[in-house]
Amino acid sequence: MADLAIDIRNVVKRYEQHVAVRDLSLAIPRGTVYGLLGPNGAGKTTTIRMILDIILPDSGSITVLGTPNTNTRTLDRIGYLPEERGLYKKMQVRRVLSFLAELKGVKPAVANGRIDEWLERFSLSGGDRNWGDAKVDELSRGMQQKVQFIAALLHDPELVILDEPFSGLDPINAQALKDAVLELRRRGKTVVFSTHIMDNAEKMCDSVAIIARGEKVLDGTVAGVKAAAGQRNIALSLAGSAPEDVFNVLADRALVGKVDDNNNFFELELAPEADAQLLLRRLIEAGAAIQRFELVQPSLHQIFLQRVGATGIEAGMSGHG
Amino acid sequence: MDNKILIVAKREYLERVRSRAFLLTTFLVPVLMAAAFMIPIYVTAKSGVSPAFRKVRILDATGVGLGERVAANVRNDKSLPDSVAGPFVVTVAPDQLAAAESSATRDVIAPNQLTGYLVLDDSTMTGSRARYVGRNASSLSEIDKLQGAVRQGVTIVRLEREGVKPEIVDQVAKNDLRVSSEKLTEKGRGGGGVGGFIVGLILGVLLLMSIMLHGQNVMRGVLEEKTTRVAEIVISSVKPEALLAGKVLGVGAVGLTQIIAWFALGGYVTSFLMPIVLKAAGGVARATPATGTAGFSLAAMPWSTLGVSLAFFLLGFLFYATLFAAAGAMVSSEQEAQQAAQPVVLLMMSGWIFVNPVMMNPNGKVAAVLSWLPWASPIIMPLRMGLTTVSPTSIAGSLAVAFVGALAAMWLAARIYRVGMLMYGKKPTFGELAKWIRYA
Repeated sequence: MADLAIDIRNVVKRYEQHVAVRDLSLAIPRGTVYGLLGPNGAGKTTTIRMILDIILPDSGSITVLGTPNTNTRTLDRIGYLPEERGLYKKMQVRRVLSFLAELKGVKPAVANGRIDEWLERFSLSGGDRNWGDAKVDELSRGMQQKVQFIAALLHDPELVILDEPFSGLDPINAQALKDAVLELRRRGKTVVFSTHIMDNAEKMCDSVAIIARGEKVLDGTVAGVKAAAGQRNIALSLAGSAPEDVFNVLADRALVGKVDDNNNFFELELAPEADAQLLLRRLIEAGAAIQRFELVQPSLHQIFLQRVGATGIEAGMSGHG
Repeated sequence: MDNKILIVAKREYLERVRSRAFLLTTFLVPVLMAAAFMIPIYVTAKSGVSPAFRKVRILDATGVGLGERVAANVRNDKSLPDSVAGPFVVTVAPDQLAAAESSATRDVIAPNQLTGYLVLDDSTMTGSRARYVGRNASSLSEIDKLQGAVRQGVTIVRLEREGVKPEIVDQVAKNDLRVSSEKLTEKGRGGGGVGGFIVGLILGVLLLMSIMLHGQNVMRGVLEEKTTRVAEIVISSVKPEALLAGKVLGVGAVGLTQIIAWFALGGYVTSFLMPIVLKAAGGVARATPATGTAGFSLAAMPWSTLGVSLAFFLLGFLFYATLFAAAGAMVSSEQEAQQAAQPVVLLMMSGWIFVNPVMMNPNGKVAAVLSWLPWASPIIMPLRMGLTTVSPTSIAGSLAVAFVGALAAMWLAARIYRVGMLMYGKKPTFGELAKWIRYA
């Protein structure tokens, strides 16, 4: 399988009190954007650390870019943004970046030119101040995140692994990150990122895997995963505040299996054997001012909730964006 | 891989050498050290014993001019500044002595009049006794000098009385014999014994200070990488062992740079300031051979000793720095780190507390035993070698043990470090630590 960027087979990682990853197998194709989804504590970070040979699996094998991941040359072709961000606080930004690039085998002269380009691109230079010459601890949190992202990309890696890249980013920087990821894909790179924000994953990923409690729940292309979940979902939008009767209809378990209530927007899952037309009629009779009533594929969010189970997720861990 | 160790070491070295703390310690320590040595010299030279004797009255009731002789002896004492006006002599008739004494007593009691008075009478001339009464009567060195001056004065006066030729009497009077000490070994004569002592002590103190300072710097560096979480990015490019090795190497190079700078600066400051200090103190350059001519230059120390001392420094540094690194990797905060480092510091101190016994007897049993303990030998051996001659077999054996000790420390530390760097939360117990070491 030479076209796999990462090939994880039957990997197990046990800790003192619990099993972090049990018998996990993943096949991540080259040239795709791949989402590793799961609630906190599902084993995403452990998996990523094992891919990067930071920790060793108890059993199983991991092949990265066609070679065992213990090969240092291979590790030089990977860019990594850890979940826990941090840089040498008292060091000049430019020097930190140059150091990290040099560790990946980039000559300082080459690294210097690229650092200029990247600082410019993330608007860390060119403005009133060139932040490249500042010390790391003079930078704001958001700027430090950008510097870390640059550090992950400076050596022009074939495979980029981002652990929770969107956490803590404001909308503008989040958009800059999305653009950068999609550009990487256009240039034929493989991007793997973990997240528990399903909206981002749904919009950006070619393929995803959902992991919970150290096990793979499902994986495949986003389209495939959604198709497999069937067309039993309805997107419903109401104008204004709905009368009480509407909620009685939505609470009818003969018609509606599950409701995801977002105030004016509802994502419904039809009850088995229920008829969508009947539901529509009942809603109109109840006085709902319907703006949208559409049979849709379930969102990743819905699939996630359905397969992982709301009980496996702490409150707020799986919200929309 | 090796290349990456060097990249890590380069970063450590450059970042630290550029830091303000480094510049400060590098320039201040030699200045302070030089001050610590020169201020006592200045103070002794300046104050010496002279002010005491300037205000001493000699009551001479001998009638043969012994008082003048004694005063001249005190003035001629080359361990006292040339400018000494000396004790002044009052010649009294024997029957006036009691009155003169009581008036001298009043002057001693009165503030700033007289330090004391010396009574010379017939019994002094027969060699039985002289009396000194004064504020400084309990100062042994001063009474000692006075006693010498009186003895010599009595000898000279009696020689004169016995009709010895005046030239010979003069020669005897000017005799200022001193015993000079020189170290003799099978390698030949080398350096003053006292000079070797001081250089050995300085070397020992500096090495210990460096190991302590830079060992803790390694620990702080490890802790920084851990608490800022930068370790995870670095470890995704470099094996933890290589990161540890590069760090220890880089900080070690910083320590070496600093020691060389200390010696160079210390030597310069001393050679530059010493004449000034001595001149300011009253031109007694020849007065205090014990400290004056011993010098703090490395000239007193042969190159082989210096080379071996350096080897001990490197092994000692490797031993302690890796253990400090392990301590840093075990914990998640500065306070916890101080706690975790305590066993390492105690280990170091266990060697240091024997520095005094070793200095007293550098070839004794204590010294010999400590030379075979890898955590003590890097401190003890350079000291011993400065003080005495240690047989080459002992040096080689001690070096070998220190080398094995450093390897063992590195092995242990690498294992703790590997697991500890990615562990956050509470400090591990000994049981957990043992598991970390077995793990990997």
